[in-house]
Amino acid sequence: MNSDPVQDILTAGDSREPQSRSVAVPIWLIVLMVLLLYWGAVYFDQNGGWFSAKVYSPYRSLQEVESFQFRAGAGDVFELGRMVYNKPTCVACHQASGQGNPGQFPPLAASEWVNEPEPGRMIRLVLNGLQGPITVKGQSFNNSMVAWNMLSDQEIAAVITYVRQNKEWGNNAPAVTPAQVKSVREKIVKAHPAPFNPDELMKISPAE
Amino acid sequence: MKYGALVFLSAFLALAASWGGLILAPQIQVGRGQQETNAVNSAELYPQARPGLARQGLSVYRANGCADCHTQQVRQTGSQCDVVLVDAGTNAEALAEALMKANVGISKASAAGLAVGLPKPILRRVPANLAKSTVSAIQSVGAKGKVEIVALGPDIARSWGPRRNVAADYLFDDPVLLGSQRIGPDLANVGLRLPDPTWHLRHLYEPRSEVKGSLMPPYRFLFERRKTGPHPSSEALQLSGKLAPPAGWEIVPRPEALALVAYLRSLRSDTPLFEAPMSSSAPAQTNAPAR
Amino acid sequence: MTASESTASSPVAPVSDADSLNASCRWPLLVLFISAAGWAVLASFFQLIASIKFHSPDFLADSPWTTYGRVHDAAGSALLYGFGIQAGLGIALRICTGTATLPAARQWIVTFGATLWNLGVLVGIVGILGGDNTGYENLQLPHYAAMLLFVGYLLAGVTIVFTLHGRRQPCLSSPQWFVLAAMFWFAWIFTTATWLLLLSTVRGVEQSVIDWWYSGNLTVVWLGLVGLGTGLYFLEESRDAAGTRDYRPLFVFWTLILFGSWTGIPSGAPVPVWMPTLSMIATLALAVPLLTIAVTVYGGQPGLRGNSNSRAGSRFIQFALAAWVAATALKVISALPEAASRIDFTWFMTAQAELNTYGFYAMMMFGGIYWIVPQVTGMEWPLRKAVGVHFWLAAAGVLLIVLPLAIGGVAQGMKLNHASIPFIDVTAATLPYLRVSTMGDVLIFIGHLLFLSNLLAVTVRVVRAWGMPRYRSVMMEPSAGEVEP
Repeated sequence: MNSDPVQDILTAGDSREPQSRSVAVPIWLIVLMVLLLYWGAVYFDQNGGWFSAKVYSPYRSLQEVESFQFRAGAGDVFELGRMVYNKPTCVACHQASGQGNPGQFPPLAASEWVNEPEPGRMIRLVLNGLQGPITVKGQSFNNSMVAWNMLSDQEIAAVITYVRQNKEWGNNAPAVTPAQVKSVREKIVKAHPAPFNPDELMKISPAE
Repeated sequence: MKYGALVFLSAFLALAASWGGLILAPQIQVGRGQQETNAVNSAELYPQARPGLARQGLSVYRANGCADCHTQQVRQTGSQCDVVLVDAGTNAEALAEALMKANVGISKASAAGLAVGLPKPILRRVPANLAKSTVSAIQSVGAKGKVEIVALGPDIARSWGPRRNVAADYLFDDPVLLGSQRIGPDLANVGLRLPDPTWHLRHLYEPRSEVKGSLMPPYRFLFERRKTGPHPSSEALQLSGKLAPPAGWEIVPRPEALALVAYLRSLRSDTPLFEAPMSSSAPAQTNAPAR
Repeated sequence: MTASESTASSPVAPVSDADSLNASCRWPLLVLFISAAGWAVLASFFQLIASIKFHSPDFLADSPWTTYGRVHDAAGSALLYGFGIQAGLGIALRICTGTATLPAARQWIVTFGATLWNLGVLVGIVGILGGDNTGYENLQLPHYAAMLLFVGYLLAGVTIVFTLHGRRQPCLSSPQWFVLAAMFWFAWIFTTATWLLLLSTVRGVEQSVIDWWYSGNLTVVWLGLVGLGTGLYFLEESRDAAGTRDYRPLFVFWTLILFGSWTGIPSGAPVPVWMPTLSMIATLALAVPLLTIAVTVYGGQPGLRGNSNSRAGSRFIQFALAAWVAATALKVISALPEAASRIDFTWFMTAQAELNTYGFYAMMMFGGIYWIVPQVTGMEWPLRKAVGVHFWLAAAGVLLIVLPLAIGGVAQGMKLNHASIPFIDVTAATLPYLRVSTMGDVLIFIGHLLFLSNLLAVTVRVVRAWGMPRYRSVMMEPSAGEVEP
């Protein structure tokens, strides 16, 4: 019975049998395993998308996927202007078509006020509002427009650009930058806090 | 020492860990997928279920082991962007200055030519962030630019699809037949590439009549050879040469063949998605087999 | 001993290692092994048809029952379920029984389980040929077959585990660790896959995830555990290992189940990137059990080469161990991101899988069967030369399949990555390699025929010898004392 090799193997770990020798796992294999797993953790951190459901290879992180999103409007001043116009701000009086309301609110479409090459007057009237009789496209209006100085320079620049460059409305004037809005705002914030009168505006050089 | 319990316990823990990681977690994450409006620039729900006949075709595809030779997964090795100038605006000088500031390698001298022949790409194969900043620079001076995403990889270069495939593309398939070997071409977008049903029918009947040197076996058991009645079938195959049936006979696709072709024609994954960004300009549609 | 010398010319030939003669699991083992061999013959026959279809697509193409997709999947299922798992069950039964006696009731339960299993495979193969293929790789047998397989496996597997539970020795040997874990492993993965894919199907690409997980666990872990367990059992028996406690096999065991179970998801799969990334890391970590086995088998110790060549089947086992090392090395290399993008979807993956399932696992099973059957029947192999011929046929066949497909697969992958090369040219360039591999399929088929004939012949001898009092006395009292000279 003792000569049975199977029996010997099966009882190898038995306390009744003295241990003659034992073969251990080579230490370098354990070191290798630890190194491999460490490398794996680093690799996963850099390439694994951190378990996000929206990250597929070849993208490696949600940030990278997001950098490829170019939805219409994002970063587009004209589209931002459209959003500001329809917030609703301007659209309430001037209408989505830019035609205004005959006898009450003047049109923006093909208006000589809008299509001035320099935007100085338009920035002012948007920032501080308007009070008093005004003639647009040969029709006279007498109403008041509220001040929109709570909007940021960027929003005002965008909405003015939207109106001035809206080819569907028959407008085509240069764009307005936030820097221009900023400089005008600084000029008038102390000097002219009240709404402008159209006559006042006509006296100002539009380039300022 | 009770080694039996130890073996059982270690096997249990190891398997439970991988079960949790590769069965349970994916089930929570992708197995509960829903139709979403995550299609970019579109309010349409994606994905849409296949029409009924195409669903029957899927089971013909499954039963005959088509997935043994065809994959349905387009891979992608990377993404880059082109910047296209759509409208140079009115101030060419400001545009040139803005582009120079955005550091895209346009000199003042070449700026004069920018406005000619629009829309035209002014930057090719650049990273997304540079494309984004360039477009903002262009728009800040009243010009218009747009970004086109360029998906890279041999699969896309072979026009097997405009973008990589993602989990959402397979939401309504049962079973999902991704395939693992490309003995034949990838079929993820075959409906886009080969929209002609009569081409598919002839190809199933005799692959080598349509694709010279093809290794695909013919699927003639999906067709019926019958005597032409008083009213010849409008669906009968138009075959020529040796393949043509003798006069008075016609070869008509069985319902299985029609279903399979409906399924093949329903195969397309070209909707831009958040997780698989692409430009919505659709790839050129041809009726030629993919390269 | 004079009595046995006088009967030397009788069919009762004294076995070479009579010490380990244990006849109690003789009948269940013969049932399992013969049906496994039968499925192997059928599998290689189907595979041969499928292989021929590549160069002549019109061959047998007019019947839906013999179209490529069905025959190919039938071949794969017959080899994996009919031959592979069934032979593995038999060898696990032998390893777990050891020197203990298998009670008659348990012999019947195992035999009944094997019958159900075979019925399941049969129904399943007919189902696949009839168009009921599930479409899931490595799980093509339809749901009605899966139910039979499940019950059959449970009957056989639970009996095997119970056999171990009733052992006389307090400690398990390392081969017993391997097969015990494997018995448990298959029950879990098969239940998960059958339930979530065939019975209450999950939605969308989660189906593929489950299928990849199942395939990885089956081909890397299950085949690995049973195959390596067999190899280690053989190694320990042929070595003078008395009193030695070797921790390396246990290290292989733990690392294999820990890493192998995460390896299934292919790179670039249409699932969130964390899954293929985890699988890639786990596959690379398979280098640890790979090197451990290499050190254990080839590292200076008196291995298989020295004292054991005389045993039937030892060549198979040596080949199988080398094939495991090679197949796992290929798997590790092909998981590297740079390599994966080039060889995905090519014949290289087929070559790797073939080297693993046939070069390693099937060869190990042949070796185990050639070695175990004389132990449990007390008979030498009737067609002794056929064993050697089978080895050379099988070895040459595997190499003729694996080498051309691996080389052709790399070439194919390179061409697929150049979009300027038309697809049809890529396919055409693989044809010479496929023709060579058909030669391999022919050799394997002939080898299987020899294997089956040998098993049938030994069974005939056992049945005939049953009437002889001496044979009967040896087989009924399997304790070693009885056969000692």
